[in-house]
Amino acid sequence: MKKSIKGKIAAAVTVSAMALALASCSGPGNAAGGDSPTSGEVSLIAYSGVWQDQYNAAVIEPFKAKYPDIKITYSSKRSSAEMLSALQGQKGKPSTDVAIMDNSVSTSGNKQGLFEKIDAAGVPNLANVADEFQNKEGFGPVVMLDAIGLVYDTATFPTPPESWNVLWDPAYAGKINVNAPPSLLGLSLTAITSKMEGEDYTKSIDKAVARLQELAPAVQTFAPNPDEYQSIITGQTVLGLGQNARGQFYSDQSNKKMGVTFPKEGTVYQINTINLVKDAPHSAAAKTFIDYALSAEAQAAFAEKLFYAPSVTNAKLPDDVKNRVVPTDGSLNIVPLDVDFLSSARDKWTDTWKRQIIK
Amino acid sequence: MTESKLSIVDLTKKYAAGLAPAVDRLNMEVEEGHLVALLGPSGCGKTTTLRMVAGLMDPTAGSIMVDGREITQEPVNKRGMGMVFQSYALFPHMNVEQNVAFGLQMRQVPKAEQKARVAEALDMVQLGHLGKRATKALSGGQQQRIALARALVVEPTLLLLDEPLSNLDAKLRDTMRTEIRSIQQRTRATTLFVTHDQDEALDMADRIAVMNGGLIEQFGSPIDVYERPRTHFVANFIGQANFLTITVGEDVGPASAAGERNYKIEVPGLGHFGAVGASGLTGRSLPVLIRPHRLRASLQPSASVQELKGTVEQVSYTGDTLSIAVRVGDEVLQSQLHTTSGSLPHTGDTAFLSWDPEHAYILPEHAKAVAA
Amino acid sequence: MTTITTENPVPGTREGLESGVLEAAANKRRKRTYLALLIPGILGLLVSFVFPLLYMVRMSFNEGAPDGVVIDTFTFQTYIKPLTDPYYWRVTLDTFRMGLTVGVLCLVVSYPIALFLVRSTSKYKGLLLAIAIAPLLTSAVVRTYGWMVILGTNGLVNTSLESMGLIGSPLKLTNNMTGVTIGLVEIFMPYAILAMISGFGRLSPQLEEAAGSLGASKFKVFMRVTLPLSLPGVFTAFLLVFVMAISTFITPRLLGGGSVQVLATEIYDQTTGLLNWPFAAALSVILLVLFGTIIAIYQRIVQKIGG
Repeated sequence: MKKSIKGKIAAAVTVSAMALALASCSGPGNAAGGDSPTSGEVSLIAYSGVWQDQYNAAVIEPFKAKYPDIKITYSSKRSSAEMLSALQGQKGKPSTDVAIMDNSVSTSGNKQGLFEKIDAAGVPNLANVADEFQNKEGFGPVVMLDAIGLVYDTATFPTPPESWNVLWDPAYAGKINVNAPPSLLGLSLTAITSKMEGEDYTKSIDKAVARLQELAPAVQTFAPNPDEYQSIITGQTVLGLGQNARGQFYSDQSNKKMGVTFPKEGTVYQINTINLVKDAPHSAAAKTFIDYALSAEAQAAFAEKLFYAPSVTNAKLPDDVKNRVVPTDGSLNIVPLDVDFLSSARDKWTDTWKRQIIK
Repeated sequence: MTESKLSIVDLTKKYAAGLAPAVDRLNMEVEEGHLVALLGPSGCGKTTTLRMVAGLMDPTAGSIMVDGREITQEPVNKRGMGMVFQSYALFPHMNVEQNVAFGLQMRQVPKAEQKARVAEALDMVQLGHLGKRATKALSGGQQQRIALARALVVEPTLLLLDEPLSNLDAKLRDTMRTEIRSIQQRTRATTLFVTHDQDEALDMADRIAVMNGGLIEQFGSPIDVYERPRTHFVANFIGQANFLTITVGEDVGPASAAGERNYKIEVPGLGHFGAVGASGLTGRSLPVLIRPHRLRASLQPSASVQELKGTVEQVSYTGDTLSIAVRVGDEVLQSQLHTTSGSLPHTGDTAFLSWDPEHAYILPEHAKAVAA
Repeated sequence: MTTITTENPVPGTREGLESGVLEAAANKRRKRTYLALLIPGILGLLVSFVFPLLYMVRMSFNEGAPDGVVIDTFTFQTYIKPLTDPYYWRVTLDTFRMGLTVGVLCLVVSYPIALFLVRSTSKYKGLLLAIAIAPLLTSAVVRTYGWMVILGTNGLVNTSLESMGLIGSPLKLTNNMTGVTIGLVEIFMPYAILAMISGFGRLSPQLEEAAGSLGASKFKVFMRVTLPLSLPGVFTAFLLVFVMAISTFITPRLLGGGSVQVLATEIYDQTTGLLNWPFAAALSVILLVLFGTIIAIYQRIVQKIGG
């Protein structure tokens, strides 16, 4: 059987719902101008929303100041899956140069041949990336780390809840938000619950499902809007799943109305990698950008803005920032969600949630 | 006073404060079995009056009585009248029979009786064979008859016709005119009939109410309103009319019509003539009406009769008759001649105009300013 | 008989032949012109509709592996799964139930408005009509967010009811089918109103007056005249709203809070979340076929009773 990646035109989808996914597939315009390490145009695909705003301010603007001849076009997507989908559509003749996306998705992209290997020759700062955050096969390394946390309303919880079990507390029934799989938040909760129930979730999640079924009636929304943080800030919910980095950011934004914490049972990393697209039209300039993104200054700047933990060893963070980014020194109890395992479990767990948990 | 079928007392309709009323304190008595035409130009209030009688519109003031019973506040569906609309208003989702049976169904007439009465009504309008047809497949004249059958089958207290002939072509209109009149006479249905066509009114009605500006200018038989119009407007609206402003002279005795007098009149600067009018007009300055076909025109002066001398300004030939416009001083008078009458005038000829005194009628009041 | 002359060329004679040929040529020219005029439209349809549709149908017979990998093959697996899995039957049924509920409720609330607008003789009729369809000027997303604010736990409805002491704890009006239904009914009202107004052509005040003059009470007039004559508009509006409701994605997604699973949200999840395009394509084809069938059946019924 001949294997191929989904191809060519994204025009495939006119039927109502599918159209949405593709509205922005066209990507940035094609190669314009030349390509050298100090000039050209780098097309970046990465997250949208607050992530985009902060990355722009912390990394892209300083980069442009340093390399005035390199232009950056930012194509934003709401999820890594949507980025992957866009890159799959461009395969063979990509218009994108660099992608910052979730580790599990980029690993799949590596396997699908969407990305190029990079080395310290083109990207000197790669040498500063901690060993465990290097890609073993030489593809794009980890660029930042975050983890799943418990977000809470500070008025309801003057001190942060210590255990995930608070989600099952009847006192908060109807005021809980959980993002269902395929969101990483829901997948993570599944693994965490399974572990709490003493299961090996790589083999079975039956006990976790039973426990989550108890939770389901207490959940106000499985798809919080506009997002899981606003849901808490606006008082629709008081407790829910969120990411630490955005949680910290919105905690400041909301004048500490909302808080985020890592419960004692442990949590799941959310890791972003930076990747060079295979046959990128502006590969030389793209490497310059990747190198800058891995620089100590860029890493520290973004950590200060949006509280992602740096992946490089030489980034120096002020204490008040250091305390708020996810620890990468082994002090946090991590529930491992292996990338390859996740790739096979995502469909299954999503199905399970839809059929057995959300009803 | 005899009991009327329909009495309208001081009926008034104001659409909005500040606007002149559409119907202004209108009074009318309609006798049982009569067909009364509400005749007037558009905007005179005739349709408004009909709609108030039907119950489709609430009067601002006044009352309506049928058989001596006040019905002003009764809703349309309780009034038991039959109405034929200008556009016929046949129900497009029902066939001919269903349309005709509608009123009987509303009255919960037993099925068998419904069937018989529908058949009878359709036979009356000679459409018994079309009962199962869809209404939209019918011609205008046929639709008109269905509408009539539908209104009559319920044996209405009053039959109300709102310009029923205006959507038909000229030829069909004449046929339907005769037919409606004969059906009305057969059924003896007291009928109110709105029209703007004076021929229709003269031909069909027992009584004509000539309306203008929300008022009835004259209510009377066709002959009355034609021969003895009370106002300039009525004279002008019904048939063609010549008017001369004259000074009424000596009363020379009773005229042939009851209560009328023969007068000498003076057309200022042009001579003395004869005319008829109500009593007690001597000394007043009033318009006199002479219908064009009663104004004789000859090319030779007559020795015995007083005449007006004028110049033919315009000649129009219509086969049976020749219409000429003759200028006499400041006035232009119309005269109609039969084409059988010897030598016919041409433009520029001198013509001599005369009339029999009984054909010149002195209007009892002055012309009012009348909107066209 | 050889001397007969005729103004109409006799077929078979030289004259006849010639004029026949000329006419045929003229016809041909005319047909070519028509075809030429159709080309832009046909091209547009091909590019924007037919090709993508064919591509989608083809995609639905591929096999989807995790992480957006599409295995080029020809399998019915993508169809067997939804057709044999009770979960997808439930989703499909929920989709149709939602379409029906939204369609019926939308008609109930839009009908009086449409009737009023058609009958109104006010000089502000144009303005009123504009107001009735003005919501179309804002996107469905914005209006859906509006409903989230109004219906939420701390929303207008719940806080008012609570302050009036009518309820003790907030009603769950969002993140479930109730919220989606309310949102969709409002969002589709302008369409329903427009469709009904355009279908109310046979209504006329004179017909109602005629029925009244024949003895029908207001209620009878409505039942026997107004309602039957407005049915074509009602049918059109229902079909339109039904079709839009079962294919809509944004409102079930946003107001459904992840708990409302309909075909459109399922297709979205498969497309953007799980990147299983073949499966999403198969679901789309199924939705399309169901659409077609329903519209066909519906047309039959309408023709039978609407007339």
